[in-house]
Amino acid sequence: MKRKVSIFNLINYCVLALVGFSMIYPFIYILAYSLNDGKDSMLGALYFLPRKFTWDNYAQVFDNARIWQAYKITLMRTILGTFLHVVLCSLLAYALSKKSLPGRSFFAFYIFLPTIFSAGFIPYFITLQKLHLINSFWVYVIPMLFNFMHVVIIRTFLQGIPAELEESARIDGYGDFQIFLRIILPLSGPVLATISLFIGVAHWNDWFTGAYYVSDKNLIPVQTLLQQMLSQAEALSSSMARSAQQGGQTISASAQGSTPESLRMALLVVTVFPILCIYPFLQRYFVKGVMIGSVKG
Amino acid sequence: MMAPNLRKRIWQHKIFYLFMLPGIVWFFIFSYVPLFGIQVAFRDYTFSGGFTGSPWAGLKYFQQFFDYYKSAEIIRNTIIISFMKLAVGFLMPIILAILLNEVRSLKFKKTVQTLSYLPHFVSWIVVVTLMQRLLTPYGGPVNDLLGVFGVQPIQFLYNTSWFYQVILGSDIWKNIGWNSIIYMAAIAGVDQQLYEAAKIDGANRFRQIWHVTLPGVRNIAIILFILSIGSLMSAGYEQLLLLNGPATAGIGSVLDVHVITSGISEGRLSYAAAVGLFQSIIGLILILTVNRIARKVSDVSLF
Repeated sequence: MKRKVSIFNLINYCVLALVGFSMIYPFIYILAYSLNDGKDSMLGALYFLPRKFTWDNYAQVFDNARIWQAYKITLMRTILGTFLHVVLCSLLAYALSKKSLPGRSFFAFYIFLPTIFSAGFIPYFITLQKLHLINSFWVYVIPMLFNFMHVVIIRTFLQGIPAELEESARIDGYGDFQIFLRIILPLSGPVLATISLFIGVAHWNDWFTGAYYVSDKNLIPVQTLLQQMLSQAEALSSSMARSAQQGGQTISASAQGSTPESLRMALLVVTVFPILCIYPFLQRYFVKGVMIGSVKG
Repeated sequence: MMAPNLRKRIWQHKIFYLFMLPGIVWFFIFSYVPLFGIQVAFRDYTFSGGFTGSPWAGLKYFQQFFDYYKSAEIIRNTIIISFMKLAVGFLMPIILAILLNEVRSLKFKKTVQTLSYLPHFVSWIVVVTLMQRLLTPYGGPVNDLLGVFGVQPIQFLYNTSWFYQVILGSDIWKNIGWNSIIYMAAIAGVDQQLYEAAKIDGANRFRQIWHVTLPGVRNIAIILFILSIGSLMSAGYEQLLLLNGPATAGIGSVLDVHVITSGISEGRLSYAAAVGLFQSIIGLILILTVNRIARKVSDVSLF
């Protein structure tokens, strides 16, 4: 009995270590690739550490005007979109958390109903067209201002704040808006951090809007830029790799410099890095957010 | 007439209605207007005519879809892919949560958990770019590793014989950690005394998992299962837009992607709206049916 348990433990630890490794390894690999000389990387056999270390790929990525423009769009939409989303959703959630509000359950149902039956892509697309949002920067921000689930998560949190706090503030002469600003918001730090993470990541990662609702090259975010590089890259890298493997051995010793593939990996790291830095610190918050979200849903 | 009492209460809450106003307007425009706009599926949509001014077309576009020689294939692909994802993608997070729960070392557990959430925070573009790099037959690490065992380099992407594995594998990789959070929480809520009691009754680790841990996640698993049945008619458009190529179109074309390409890329809006409506209705029927079955069989249901 005792031995059997330890075998179970051994296998379990191995499996889980493998799972953890498989989650992080792709990122280690692209980091190594992006810090390695581009032409040298084509020879393959690059696994954990760069062989010919260089900052060159990053220098070129940051030197590219198109990438800068795309990065600027991504940053702008993420900051503006996250801020507005969090403010507006918490206002709505605060109102819906008031048990005394006449019509409260009607309004709660009003925002819930569309989650059961969605109209689908096309009527939504036509609506965007009619609002002149197609090919405008605001198509990134306005359609993502609200989210039913996020409102529910914030509301559930607000309902946990003791009512006595509000009452005593009222006795001190605070108005409704002041109570929201001075009492409710400061107490809602954890839930607002969670929602900011959720919506911030959604903004940062959204490539679809840029690809299908926007055609102006100057309005495209980084993720859409990466998507446009996808199909070209597959053909390019395989043909280059083939030539490198065939005649490469003699040339490779002297060949140096970036390749489209090494630039793409550097861009990928630049895209992923900010998120990787943030999420571990918000972990204990979003775990709670997910629980509220799925229990109430 | 409203009772003066109610009117007074509404007036007292006027600032809260003001707080709600942006939300009410937004949900009207971005949720209810598109619902109203579903009628374009029954009209010959023109831009100037809009939702209500375009001429009626009856069921023409539904007919067109069912007459399309690939429609059966597209429906079949959608069901196969989402069913696979449902079967495997639904079980994997539960298994991960159970395995993590058996770990005694808190530090190890925390590390694996944190790492497993990571792929959830990157976009499908990033995932597919990573896969292109890692899986390439020209010096990619995965094929190099397989080469150690004497396997010839494999073209994994855009290849019919590896298509399902790639779709399923990337879906699991991206979602397993995130989806396990809720099960971890459910397991954490299981009364520890139940484990003690099971131990006294002589239950080993496997029997403890079977009799104590699994019943603890049962309810939440049923609810999530009902929810995922509702999306059985959508196979995940972001992933399939990116991972399906001309070579795999025969088994990789799905409804969502068909709606997007025929509607937004080709501009056949009424046709695409009809396909999308068909998809939504089947989804609704499925979720209502499964919900009813679940309520009868297990007393757990969504609504």
